[in-house]
Formats: sequence, structure tokens, C-alpha cells
Amino acid sequence: MSVHLFPGFIGLSAAMFAVGAVGVLLRRNPLVVFMAIELMLNAANLALVTYGRFTHTMDGQVFAIVVITVAASEVVVGLALITGVFRRGRRLDLDDLSELRR
Amino acid sequence: MTGPLGMAALVAAPPWYPLHFAPASNLVEFLPELVVAAGMVAVLVTDLFVGPTHRRRLPLLTGLTLLAALLIAVGEWVGHVPGRPVFDGAFAADRFGLFADFLILLVALAVTALSPAYLQRRGLESGEYYVLLLAAVTGMMVLSGATSLIVVFLGIELLSIPLYVLCALNRDDALGQEAAIKYLLLGGFASAFLVYGMALVYGETGATQLGRIHQVLLHGSLAGRTDPMLLAGIALIGVGLSFKVSAAPFHWWTPDVYQGAPVLVTTFMSVATKVAAFAAFLRIFSVTFGTAQSDWAVPVALVAIASMVFGNVVALGQRSLKRMLAYSGIAQAGYVLIGVAVGQPDGTAASLYYLAAYAAMNTGAFGILTALSGRGEDCDDYEGILGLARRQPLLAALMALFLLSLAGFPLTAGFFGKLFLFSAAIHDGEVPLAVWGVLTSAVSLFYYLRVILTMFTEPGGAGEPVQVAGMTFEGGAVARAQLALVRPALGTRALLTLFAAATLVLGLFPALVDSLIQGIHVVAG
Repeated sequence: MSVHLFPGFIGLSAAMFAVGAVGVLLRRNPLVVFMAIELMLNAANLALVTYGRFTHTMDGQVFAIVVITVAASEVVVGLALITGVFRRGRRLDLDDLSELRR
Repeated sequence: MTGPLGMAALVAAPPWYPLHFAPASNLVEFLPELVVAAGMVAVLVTDLFVGPTHRRRLPLLTGLTLLAALLIAVGEWVGHVPGRPVFDGAFAADRFGLFADFLILLVALAVTALSPAYLQRRGLESGEYYVLLLAAVTGMMVLSGATSLIVVFLGIELLSIPLYVLCALNRDDALGQEAAIKYLLLGGFASAFLVYGMALVYGETGATQLGRIHQVLLHGSLAGRTDPMLLAGIALIGVGLSFKVSAAPFHWWTPDVYQGAPVLVTTFMSVATKVAAFAAFLRIFSVTFGTAQSDWAVPVALVAIASMVFGNVVALGQRSLKRMLAYSGIAQAGYVLIGVAVGQPDGTAASLYYLAAYAAMNTGAFGILTALSGRGEDCDDYEGILGLARRQPLLAALMALFLLSLAGFPLTAGFFGKLFLFSAAIHDGEVPLAVWGVLTSAVSLFYYLRVILTMFTEPGGAGEPVQVAGMTFEGGAVARAQLALVRPALGTRALLTLFAAATLVLGLFPALVDSLIQGIHVVAG
């Protein structure tokens, strides 16, 4: 990766982040929303690694590994919660989760 | 060097390699966090090997762990361990972080003391609860001392992930599960904003340690000019942290999560999470990004005003006690944000005082709901507390004190908390912030007083509706809701009285805690 590709990588990461954010806001399936969040985190990872290369520091790569690890543990908890809620045959739809507002 | 893993690299790190292996002495500064983490593992292992009869020793083990961490933290404060950053500028045990640790540990201790009785009544007894509680406390303490973007992120996730699970502690409760999913999805969403903001700040400054970022902003190529990427990064970090402290307009999750989670968990997360997240907020914004304050002070002030107005106005219309306290919590976050907007050093000190007051009064208010909650469901309806003053005068009086303090009534902790914040804002020339704060406090008095009036009104007989401050109670519903409430044990009442005493001490002798806060120097890392 050479320096003149730098704006391209950052642009790609910004686009991924935007796609993920729109996905979280528009999709109603909790699993798809979760995937959109992962896309946003991975957009941040791409930015971190790109900046790390650009600034000649290792912090970005270390940070990216930490983010990947944390995202993995979040997925474990998240999937367990989602199966917990929907195991009683409820529809996989976030709009159905609205018993709390009264 | 011949290969990527050549022996030379192991003996002496090459100059481009940024990590310096921490000397063992660094562990001294990190000891309170280590003790809590070790206690978490101990509780987990003990839970695996003991039978159900010995399982009731787990709260004791949890409490001792928290107490040990608290004593070590006090020792570090008294012994004045230099607040220098350790682990290559990633963490600092400065008095600022220690002060936040005190509040977190005291709240966690109170919640641990409330836990066995509540969990037993609700049939939720499990070892995992204490493991997750200690994991969340570890995350909060890591966050309060974090002086590197990586550790800030790690701390936030370490406190959030156990809380997601704790919200869903009652697996048969659809509302708790719903709260957990909402918290998880919106929490993950906010984390993504936070990490992306951190990536942008790292890209512009070339460092993740807050101290080095501060130096770059002060003396480096970015000094004295406004860099759009850096500002975008600061804004995204602000969004992520505002979510964690539940400030408007990033508060959507708060009412649902606070209402859906078991009230015991709500007690813990409404206070301890906010203290830890505000510690990070104050350190990152007021200190690290202090040179760019002219750029972020106005947006932060707007978020503060939005939280105060929105939280207090929406709380007026709530018919659920937990939801009302959730909106009140959003408003309280707005008040603390005044201190962030004002900045160092007055704003930081005022925010810390308010956080101490908040820890006393909000733990007390939610703690009373926890202590009253019976077998079937949490104490969440105004019907249940109608006439509480006759049946349980002590708890009603304590609840009245906590609510008056939340409203900022004189002689209570909330009064001096707000006074310090508003006067800091006025000294800094941010008069509108103080004006909005006073106006919204006046509004808040209405819904706090409504709860107090309800407690001090006698319920009518069957078929005899009672009117209190715009609410009508049917006789039958009142009787049913009141049967569900319990009379807490002597120890619980003593604990809640202690928190009331703390609320009064903070309201009568503000100098006691303020003199502690005035000696605090915030380390940027």
C-alpha cells in the first residue's frame, strides 16, 4: 500500500461506515442490524490500520486487534440475547419489541 | 534483523517498536482494578465448585473484593501514589480517577448489599450475577483511569457487555429481554461512532495516548489551527460518550433499558456507569482536547441544555417510577455536562462534586425501589407507593429526601451540586447554561414532589378513587399494588439511611468533599 492510495482507503472506510449506519437505522431484523454494526466497527478498523501505516506507528494495528477482539465478545453476548428473546417463536423484527413504551 | 521474529527483536526492541514492556512496579497503580478482576475470577470458580447451600457466600466474597479494592484505592490516595501514567501512558492512577473509583466502589458495595434479598425474592439467585457485577466494576475502574484511546474503548466495552447480560438477568421476563436487546444494539451503534472518532483523532495526531495527543494539539503541527478531520473525530467521540452518559439526543435507550432491567441492575448502572463515563468525558474533553475547547464547548453546552429540557419535561408525563427516574437521569446528565462545557479547572471540580451527590441521592432513590420490590414484580407503579408514609414512614421520609436532593432543594447534596455547576458556568461567562439549569430545576420539582405527595396521601377504600397531583388512583388497583411491596430488613433500612446521611452531609458540609476535589489534578496521560 503506497501513500497515494491513502485517500482511497479512508474513503472506502468512510463509505463502509455510512452503509453500516444506514443499515442500523433502516433494517428491522436484529441480526442484520447487528451485522451493520459489525460493518461500522470494521470500517473503523480499516481507518485505524490505514492511519497506522500512514503515520508509521503501531498503535493503529494494536487498536484494530483490540476492536476485533471486543467485537467478537459482543457478538457472543448479542447472539445469545437475540436467541433468548426470539426462542419463543417471535418474529425476528425489532418493531415487535415495543412492549416497554407505555 | 534477519527475520520478523529474530532473536535480536526479543533482546532489545528496535527503535520503531512503540511498546515498552511495563516494569512490575506499574502493577501497583493498577492494583485496585486487578483486585476486582481477581475477585471476579474467584467468584466464578467458587460458584462452579460449591453447592447451592454455600452459594449465599458469594455476595460476601463480592463485597470483600470490593472492600479490598476500596481500601487499596484509599491507600493510593492517602499515600499519594504519583499520578504518573503507567503502561506507556495508557493508564493513570491519579486522584481524579481514584475519586471516580471511590464512587463506583461505594455504589457497587451498596448494590451488593441489596442483592441477596432482592434476588431471592425474585427467584434470580445465581453466581453469574456477581461475576458480571464485578466485571462491570472492573470496566468502570479501567475507564476512570484510562489515559489512552485504546484503554478508554476497552473500559467502555468491559463495562457495557456485562451490563447487557445483567439487563436480561430474568430470562422469563420479556421486558428485561427487550431492554437487553435495545441496550446491546444501540450500545454497539454508539461504540462504532466512538471507535471511528478515535480512529480519526489517531490519524490526525499519530498517537493514541491522551498525553501525546494533548502535546500534539499544544505544540505540534495542529497547534492553533482548526483541522476538520480532527473536529470530526472529536465530534464522533462526543457522540459515543454522550450515549454512555445518556445525554439527549443520544438517550433513546435509557427509559426502556432502565424500565425493563431488574431495578437492582438499574440502580447499579444508572449511577456507576454514569460516573465512569463522565470521568472519561471530563478527562478526554476538558484536558486532552482542552486546547480545542472553543470548538467543542458550544455543541457540548447544547447537548447539556437539550438533556436538561428534554429529561425534565418528559419526566412530567411518566406513570412508571423507573421511567420517571430514567428521564430524571437524562436531566441529571445534562447538569453534569455543564461542568464539561465550562472546562478546567472549575467545571471539572463542579462536575465531580455533582457526581458524588448524584451517587448518594440516585443510589438512594433506586435503592428504595429495590428494597420495596416484592416477589412478583418491581416496585414501579405510583399505586404501590400511595400512602407509603403511613405504612413505612422511614422509607417514605428517605425517599422524600433523595427526591428533594435530585430536585436541588437546599440542605441537600443536589443543592450544592447544582450551585457549584451554575456558579462555574456564570464565572466562565456561560450565563445561558445556568439560566436553563435553574429553569429546568424548577420544572423538575413538580414531578419529584408528585411522588412525595403520593407517598403522603392516604389511599381511599375500595371503589373510592383518590386524586393526587393530576393522577387518579382506583381503590382496588392500589390495594393490589401495595400487597406486592415488602418491608425491607433492618440492614437494608440502615444502608439506605447511610445514603441519606451522605446526601445530608454533602448538602450541609460541602467543604468536606470539596476540599478533596480541589486537590485533584487530572492527568492527561
